[in-house]
Amino acid sequence: MRLPFPRFFIALPAALTALLAQPALATQGHGAPEGLYAHQFAHVFFAISMGILIYWLRRARLVDQPGWRHIQFSAVFFILWNIDAFIVHMLEEQLAVLAVTRVNPWHISLASPAPYTWLQYLYIVVKLDHLLCVPAMAFLFSGLRRLRSGGSRPGLHGSTRT
Amino acid sequence: MMTVSTIPIWVVDIGGSILMIVLSLSCLRLAYDLRRKDRTNVIWTYLLWVCCALTLFAVSRSAGHILKQILIFSGQRGVWDVIRPVSGGLNTFAFIVVASVTLFFQQTWTIYHTIENDRSALQRARDELLYLNQNLENLVAERTRELGHSEKKYRRIFETSRDMILVTAVDGTILDLNPMGRETLVRKATGLEIVGQPFQTFFAQTIDWDNLLREVSSKGFVSNAEVELRHVDGSSFRALVSAGQDRALAEEGEAIHFLVKDIEERRLMEKQMAQADKLASIGEFSAGIAHEINNPLGVILGYTQLLIRREDENSERYTDLKTIEKHVRNCKTIVEDLLNFARSSPTRKDQVHLHDIIDDVIHFIQHHSRKGGLTIQKTYDGTLPPMVLDEKKVKQVFMNLIMNAKHAVGKSGTVRLTTRLLDDPKRAEVEVADDGYGIEKKNLSRIFDPFFTTKPTGEGTGLGLSVSYGIIKKHGGDIHVDSSPGAGTVFTVVLPINGRDT
Repeated sequence: MRLPFPRFFIALPAALTALLAQPALATQGHGAPEGLYAHQFAHVFFAISMGILIYWLRRARLVDQPGWRHIQFSAVFFILWNIDAFIVHMLEEQLAVLAVTRVNPWHISLASPAPYTWLQYLYIVVKLDHLLCVPAMAFLFSGLRRLRSGGSRPGLHGSTRT
Repeated sequence: MMTVSTIPIWVVDIGGSILMIVLSLSCLRLAYDLRRKDRTNVIWTYLLWVCCALTLFAVSRSAGHILKQILIFSGQRGVWDVIRPVSGGLNTFAFIVVASVTLFFQQTWTIYHTIENDRSALQRARDELLYLNQNLENLVAERTRELGHSEKKYRRIFETSRDMILVTAVDGTILDLNPMGRETLVRKATGLEIVGQPFQTFFAQTIDWDNLLREVSSKGFVSNAEVELRHVDGSSFRALVSAGQDRALAEEGEAIHFLVKDIEERRLMEKQMAQADKLASIGEFSAGIAHEINNPLGVILGYTQLLIRREDENSERYTDLKTIEKHVRNCKTIVEDLLNFARSSPTRKDQVHLHDIIDDVIHFIQHHSRKGGLTIQKTYDGTLPPMVLDEKKVKQVFMNLIMNAKHAVGKSGTVRLTTRLLDDPKRAEVEVADDGYGIEKKNLSRIFDPFFTTKPTGEGTGLGLSVSYGIIKKHGGDIHVDSSPGAGTVFTVVLPINGRDT
């Protein structure tokens, strides 16, 4: 097959890379912030996967049945929880606009520069993330229980689409 | 700077963590139950995987949170700092597992749906097979019964049809024939086997068969083609033939189905009706002319007779006037015959015996004709009752018929006179048959026409049969002829017993 541009443009960068190469380590080092980034990406991945689950549940019309409808609600709460957890991690560890100091075992002090004082209130609210993940798990439990009592063949009553 | 109490956060954190552990384990239990109820169900397997990953996540995270609070409160923050990355890493791993497993939902659902559809199809097939297996005998019996009914129904149509139904191979060989078809073709030759014979041999014209076959081959069917067919005895009849090609009879190859309708009788009736119409028209026409001519003829005859009285019998003028008188009388006879044919002259009916009338006629003929080889045979039906007839006119009819018969047999021959009583309604039938030459087919349709005669000029006026026709019709009867060259002629007169003036 004939290439759309001269071989020269491939050969030259390859030759330069080979001639100008420096000594390199075989493995890359992983510093402290990398774990936080991986954790945040995992939250994003989790939220996206829950969104895709909701999409397929609705497309297959499974949400017409109570069991799968509750599993859909569970996915919605998991998405909210992931957003909440993402914000908490960002406020605590990524952004430098909010300082959280433990005064004693029963109190913490929150400090933020003048335009961002609302972040202190936001932090207190989002810190209560169990108010989202517990309902998510409760809806999952409720959905499973309905599926168990609904029969052994899920989702084939009426018209369903794959 | 804002200082807030950690108690609400701590309560929600610890309480929530405990609930997360409890709920995740409960979910795991439910998913496990579902899976255990139906191990082949891939959706339950999928949900069990999701619950396993969520339980790992919930236990790891919640245990980490609880441990964190305990260690901080107990002043061992250093220990927590060591555990923290492990707990965080475990949480991250659990998220990814849950998310990854969740992403397979669509493929899992597609597989499940396919399996379920296949399972349903298999179940339906199994049920159907089971049903057929259990009811095969009954189903076969029922089907056989239905086929029997159907066969019986169509067999009855085939056997009771008043038209000929015939099945032939494409080469014309007769494969099957209904009773009516056999009756039509075979007539009285009961021993003759028709099946196996070529149908084309029953066609009077070979070209008719060729045309029929060509049309069936090209179009697949033929509708109401009029052809001339032959009976086994050689006599022919007109028929309407419909045919259709049948390619379904695998055992016998292709076949042609024929439906043949005998229209000979209908055609004869149509011809008779046409003849009757023609004679009625001629009658009206003749009556008109006869009326117009009759009066001038009367005047001519009257004046001729006046002139004759004044003339000497030996004079030449007397002879001339007598010649005029004779011819005028001939003209008047013809005119009266025409009026008789046209049925316009009045009839005078009395109760008479038909045999007496015929005997009088025979007696008259035998005394007024030369002795020859004519033999008259009489076969009378003794049950024939007296009838209401115009004796004079009926005598004229039989005089015409017997004289015609006498003329036909020539110097020697036999004339047979047969009477019989017909029932429902009561009628008398008289046959006047001779063994003479017979009548040519081309002349048969014209013999009742006025002035039609086969006798030499001067020997017959051609009004005898037309007058007879008019008289018989006037009595509400019928007259017809059956003749063929060399086989003699039979005139049949049918008269109602209780005379009817029409």
